[in-house]
Amino acid sequence: MNAILLTGSRVRLACQDAQETSLAFARWQRDTQYVRLLSTDPAFPWSAEKIKSWMVEEQEKPLQDEFFFNIRTIPDDLLIGFVGLHEFSWAHGDAWVAIGIGERQYWGKGYGTEAMRLALQFAFMELNLWRVSLGVYNNNTRAIRSYQKAGFQIEGLQRSAGRRAGQVWDICFMGILRREWEKSLE
Amino acid sequence: MNDNLLVGKLVRLSAVTEAWPEAIARWSRSSETFRLMDSGVSSPYSVKATKDMFDKEFQQEKPNNFLFTIHMLQDDQMIGDIGLDGIRWTHGDCFVGIGIGEKQFWGKGYGTDAMRIILRFAFYELNLHRVSLNVFDYNPRAIRSYEKAGFTHEGRVRQSLNRAGRRWDVVYMGILRAEWERMNAGQ
Repeated sequence: MNAILLTGSRVRLACQDAQETSLAFARWQRDTQYVRLLSTDPAFPWSAEKIKSWMVEEQEKPLQDEFFFNIRTIPDDLLIGFVGLHEFSWAHGDAWVAIGIGERQYWGKGYGTEAMRLALQFAFMELNLWRVSLGVYNNNTRAIRSYQKAGFQIEGLQRSAGRRAGQVWDICFMGILRREWEKSLE
Repeated sequence: MNDNLLVGKLVRLSAVTEAWPEAIARWSRSSETFRLMDSGVSSPYSVKATKDMFDKEFQQEKPNNFLFTIHMLQDDQMIGDIGLDGIRWTHGDCFVGIGIGEKQFWGKGYGTDAMRIILRFAFYELNLHRVSLNVFDYNPRAIRSYEKAGFTHEGRVRQSLNRAGRRWDVVYMGILRAEWERMNAGQ
């Protein structure tokens, strides 16, 4: 009952202030490689103003629709990325997780993995979900390794789901079940 | 085996149409009916008010409630409504509300049948853990119906209501998924 949620050793999950977050998102989106690894959408930058009004609209939706957090470092409190649970299928206890580390100097150092572990703790201990799903481009090996460390298993491969820079990218579907997550804590 | 979740022995649960707000306005004219269903001041609703409420509460893209109208199997007449709301998904709990608006259908098992259908929907489609309700203790017919459907008395708020010159309790009832499954074992 007394578990401290949302706080790890090097990062914490924080609320998303629309003003601060839209400025950071707009800055990160100038890095097209970040956008391409994050999303299947075209790497088309949005203005901070447009991001902000979209974010305000999203935040007014009923709470059960999604839970998005900013990732902030401990102890210096820098905003380095975001993680969120969305696409809830409550009757089945499933949701999708999305994560992005916008600040490149924090790539490959375990910050994202810790943020994902916090998001899973929130998903299983607070939302009482049954499973968490994600999709990732198959050539994003750094991300896939991070998700495996957090406990995700590869569940399937959608072939040639993306075409970028003259290459064909597959989408890898991954998932973690509640009981697997519980076991990983032992 | 009947494989339609929303069809019972006597009634079926249907998608809500424009006919529902009109029926609610009609049913609200009977203070006897109103007082059994609602602790608010018994006064008739206008059709416009019930339509506005319908649009606001139930016509959203993803409402956090599941409202049905109750129809007779024999001739499809709409006799009442039943719905799940206040769903707390992370805990798997919700409230159920039911009203049989047409008085000639009271006390004949139609409401109990509708309640059994919606419990099946709550437990086997929404995968909820429990269903809660409250009822006024001047409504023994409803309490008996809920008991038949499998609900247990869980508590009461004493002297919560003041009607017809005296105080009445609000009774809280609930049913757990495991209880419901035991009740339906072998069916």
